[in-house]
Amino acid sequence: MIKTEGLTKYFGNIKAIDNLNLHIKEGEVFGLLGPNGAGKTTTVRMLNTLTLPTSGRAEIDGLDVVKQANEVKRLIGVSPQELNLDKELTGRENLRLHGLLHRMKGREERIEELLKWAGLSDRADNLVRTYSGGMQRRLLVGRAIMHRPKVLFLDEPTVGLDPQVRRQIWDIIRDLTRQGVTILLTTHYIEEAEMLCHRVGILNHGELIALGTPRELKAKVGHFVVESLDNGVTNYRLFNTRENAYKFAEQRADDVFIRESNLEDVFIKLTGERIVR
Amino acid sequence: MNFYPIFLREMLIFKRRLLNIGYLFSTMITPLLYLVAFGLGLGRGISIEGISYLMFVVPGICAMSSMTNSYTWIATTISVGRLHFKTFEEYQVSPVTATDIMLGEILSGVVRGLFASSLILIAGAIFGAGFPQNPIFLLVWVLNCLIFACFGVISGFLAKSHEDTATFSNFFIMPMAFFCGTFFPIDNLPAFIKGFLYILPLTHANNALRTSFLGQQVEMISLGIMLAFLVISFYLGVITIRRSNR
Repeated sequence: MIKTEGLTKYFGNIKAIDNLNLHIKEGEVFGLLGPNGAGKTTTVRMLNTLTLPTSGRAEIDGLDVVKQANEVKRLIGVSPQELNLDKELTGRENLRLHGLLHRMKGREERIEELLKWAGLSDRADNLVRTYSGGMQRRLLVGRAIMHRPKVLFLDEPTVGLDPQVRRQIWDIIRDLTRQGVTILLTTHYIEEAEMLCHRVGILNHGELIALGTPRELKAKVGHFVVESLDNGVTNYRLFNTRENAYKFAEQRADDVFIRESNLEDVFIKLTGERIVR
Repeated sequence: MNFYPIFLREMLIFKRRLLNIGYLFSTMITPLLYLVAFGLGLGRGISIEGISYLMFVVPGICAMSSMTNSYTWIATTISVGRLHFKTFEEYQVSPVTATDIMLGEILSGVVRGLFASSLILIAGAIFGAGFPQNPIFLLVWVLNCLIFACFGVISGFLAKSHEDTATFSNFFIMPMAFFCGTFFPIDNLPAFIKGFLYILPLTHANNALRTSFLGQQVEMISLGIMLAFLVISFYLGVITIRRSNR
């Protein structure tokens, strides 16, 4: 459904994305993970036609994102990182304009349906600028899926949200997954990718440094982690089996902490950097 | 062709502004000041080319006000939408063309320009200047709004910051308001300046609006130059939108 070949983007001399090759299947939820500035948003913007690649190519459902940009735009839904709703309009008006931009039939029914889905029915006729961050994010996702896109781009959908509201957004994403929408999700919250995505790609400094299911990636580095404090420095040791982890821990006199590995450990192992949470 | 949603968006915003009395008042106040100061103050007892100064200045201020309102509305809504609220990305990821965006925006500029300048005509009529009778007046009036709405689109899309649109306005729009025959005939100016003014659109808008306002024959050359400006600025606007998309 999404395919990139050698996709590369330079901003002047600065390399944002280098030779990205991705295949995302229909109905897959793919997480693009990485710290700020890794090139996640640039990747999404090239795929959703907002940014021109420097070289390489990308396809959505067999359509070239540069040469067939207008056809691509019919297939995709975009929920950008920034809340780019029209704040001087009401929620309902935002949706209505989106439906008109996509020349949707059955627009008004769909608007009611989405307002209900996003839990905004009773606030539909208030200006968006009176909405909370979570309400705006739900409306943004609702707008992105309004025209029933085949591919949905969710760029940092939960950034800056309260824990409860983040969970609401996760439920929304799970609901969309059940509906079979292909989703490209970017996030720098590791647990989010682990929970929601079928496969994950880790980006660092514009390069894809790992690709696989969360389970595969964790298996690569080891399933168990022993954290210990050595002279004020936290050390991580990764083990494939629980037994080996225990064995190591027992030899240590000081306090150690054993846990299952997560995608963050994968990231640290691969880059030597810890993601700032 | 799908410019309606873009037009509708601006109209929804405009409708909301109209309900705001402060906004309505501030739209009216500047041109009204000009009208009172020049038409009734300075111009009392003065006549130009055999007509009263009020009759001279009302179509002039109408041209000026339709120009500034069409331009400013569009330039502001686009530069703020692009740079600040990022609302323009919604258009850019939707299957609408640059021409759709251009048409939707400039038509809203026309509504805005006509609205503000019709307040001038009403005020002028109250002061005794009468209403324009010649249908050509309406044509030129709309044409003027269209041209400056196109400039507004270009400036709004080229702007790197919101201040840029004001810079363009200060160097281009405001000097035109003063020198292109709004308040005095350009015949009074030295020949080389006159020659330069003759290639500016507002000179011709003033000329054509004034002659049609007074029920005189409109010079075809003025209409021709304005049409040429419209075609060129429309084309440049579409190109600018297309480029900004990437």
